[in-house]
Amino acid sequence: MNTEARLQRAKEILAPFAKETLTPEANRVDVVIDAADLTKATAAMKSANWGYLSAITGMDLGPDAGQLEALYHFCDAAAVTSLRVRLPREGQPEIDSVADQVPVASFYERELSEMLGVIVVGTPDPTHLFLPDDWPEGVFPNRRDFKIEDAAPVERDIPKVPDQGRMGNKFIVPIGPQHPALKEPGHFEFAVDGEIITGARMRLGYVHRGIEKATEQRNWIQNLYLLERICGICSHTHTSAYAQGAEKLAQVEVPMRALAIRELVAGLERIHSHLLWLGVAAHEAGFDTLFMYSWRDRETVMSLLEELTGNRVNYSISILGGVKQDVGLEQSKSVRKAMDYLEERIRYYLDVVTSDAMFLQRTRGIGTMSRDEAILYGALGPTARASGLERDVRVDAPYGAYSKYPVSLITDERGDLEAKFVVRLKELLVSCFTIRTIVDNLPAGELAVRFPRKVPAGETVSRVEAPRGEAFYFIKSEGGESPTRLKIRTPSLCNWTSVLNKAVGHQLADVPMMIAGMDPCFSCNDRMVTVRRKDDSQTMTWAQLRAYGIEKYKSR
Amino acid sequence: MIATPNLINKVVSGITTWARVNSPWIIHFNSGSCNGCDIEILATLTPYYDIERFGIKLKGSPRHADVLICTGPVTRQARSRLLRIYEQMPEPKFVVAVGSCGISGGTFAGCYNIVGHIDEVLPVDAYIPGCPPRPEAIIDGVVKLLTHLKNGTRPEPIKPQLGEQA
Ligand code: SF4
Repeated sequence: MNTEARLQRAKEILAPFAKETLTPEANRVDVVIDAADLTKATAAMKSANWGYLSAITGMDLGPDAGQLEALYHFCDAAAVTSLRVRLPREGQPEIDSVADQVPVASFYERELSEMLGVIVVGTPDPTHLFLPDDWPEGVFPNRRDFKIEDAAPVERDIPKVPDQGRMGNKFIVPIGPQHPALKEPGHFEFAVDGEIITGARMRLGYVHRGIEKATEQRNWIQNLYLLERICGICSHTHTSAYAQGAEKLAQVEVPMRALAIRELVAGLERIHSHLLWLGVAAHEAGFDTLFMYSWRDRETVMSLLEELTGNRVNYSISILGGVKQDVGLEQSKSVRKAMDYLEERIRYYLDVVTSDAMFLQRTRGIGTMSRDEAILYGALGPTARASGLERDVRVDAPYGAYSKYPVSLITDERGDLEAKFVVRLKELLVSCFTIRTIVDNLPAGELAVRFPRKVPAGETVSRVEAPRGEAFYFIKSEGGESPTRLKIRTPSLCNWTSVLNKAVGHQLADVPMMIAGMDPCFSCNDRMVTVRRKDDSQTMTWAQLRAYGIEKYKSR
Repeated sequence: MIATPNLINKVVSGITTWARVNSPWIIHFNSGSCNGCDIEILATLTPYYDIERFGIKLKGSPRHADVLICTGPVTRQARSRLLRIYEQMPEPKFVVAVGSCGISGGTFAGCYNIVGHIDEVLPVDAYIPGCPPRPEAIIDGVVKLLTHLKNGTRPEPIKPQLGEQA
């Protein structure tokens, strides 16, 4: 089915609820519905199997308009359907929860309510996800009239988690937040019955800086450098997604050479990110040799990135309208040489993770997620693809140069941890291949075109496949020097749902590996774990938990 | 020679300094960084940069650590954790702030969830600027700190000059 057909189908599904249907871009429809119809519309989309809920954008239209908008973005390949619900700004804007149909929506809804002040009726966990515990009531950072002075810390009782009967009378094992899961230091609570996990929840926000809001105060160009620093691991993903969206709004045609260079850097970024992950995941399993090996080889990519862009981490290769640096003959030579070396190493790692008996004990058959579960939990990226779910923005909705230099989709049917290793490593071989193709066939042309200071009014959706899955950007401009609203949904947020749900029924000893399996960028640093048992409590560090996992498997 | 209490003290403190300088254990905490600095810190531990040749070891528990390496601006939610980790470390303890955003707020200056840079929360002994600093710079910063420890002094931190902030 092509994009038009998909959109047509979405319109038909939503026709009973539609107040107004707009087509802001060729690949998008925008359906305005009543708040009361939201759950029915979501159910209709779901029962028709139309894509997946990718993000919820909350927008404040300002005190003058007196309205808030919540946009529920569904994505199916390149087609994006947004359900647009308008709510009153004053009083108690209320919306029904869709989390019982789409579990991942629980996170989006927590965000919507804390950031915009929309009351989500029936959401499973109404506590803060990102904002600090001492945040004052009734102050919402994504409202237009938010002032930083209003947010002065207050003493507040931390709201109790509603008991869902699963935390019940069990031990609760809190993990974190001193567990710099590199990207998202979080706090987890696992309820355990003996060895077996019976419930899990999490709290983020330890590194929440308020970037979405900050973009509204910086101009289009400054934002590029701010957004690059959302994550130092997939920095290029964020600049690409943002630049691509801004370029679409400004109707700037980026030269092919620039797009090809962006794809080249994205490929290198994927290699560095996956090798980083391989090392960290191996470390969690107690396989430190593999950790050191893969990080040694990762330095090959890091040097290459430095040679191409001038930086090891935040490469700043993209600018609005193109790229900053060219890839010359010298650099192409280095790229080819590095690819030769890396391909050989990756093949070797592929062999190790599929044949080392000790390692397989920790990965084979652990945390198995079926394809249906992956769909239900809204898994993305390699986490989804390891369960046989074909989801890859580079293939489904080729952007940038991906239609000229396509990548092949790697999936695995098994869904366990081993499959996640295999999928990621095979993806690297694909990346190496694509990178070679690009340097061999770099189109001639300009590196960049001029980008206007002010961007015409409009709204756009920009999706990019990060190493961990789809990154979703929604950008709205009102013709000014800064965006009016910029919504970012990163892939890990979706994958957490799958891990938290899959952890239930597993042994506590498997938790480190399962979390590492989704690649939340775990550092090998330690995390604090406290095991509470009614009034008698015992402290366990992440290192001990990890060692405990390793020991347990040794003694089997 | 008869050991006088003075001599014993001198020998013991000599040994302690020797041990401290030769095997400083570090703990790392990310109080709001983008990860860029964190992965570079991690990279210093791996074979290519191999910081362990200075006896430096990354530890998980603050109670084992001599040096706290912090990255990122301090977010509101992480502030109390950062302080708690610092308090849990045994004396003498040292703090190293890695990265521009930990030193000045950097690109995140003015964001609503930031309480400030690291030295507004903890006393910082060494600053390593860069966004992120290269692994070599991190090693250099830590080694400089060690040289000071050898003399038994705390370094006079020279805070990088900051331009006007937006
Ligand atoms: S200094 Fe730069 S690289 Fe380091 S954490 Fe801050 S933003 Fe990231």
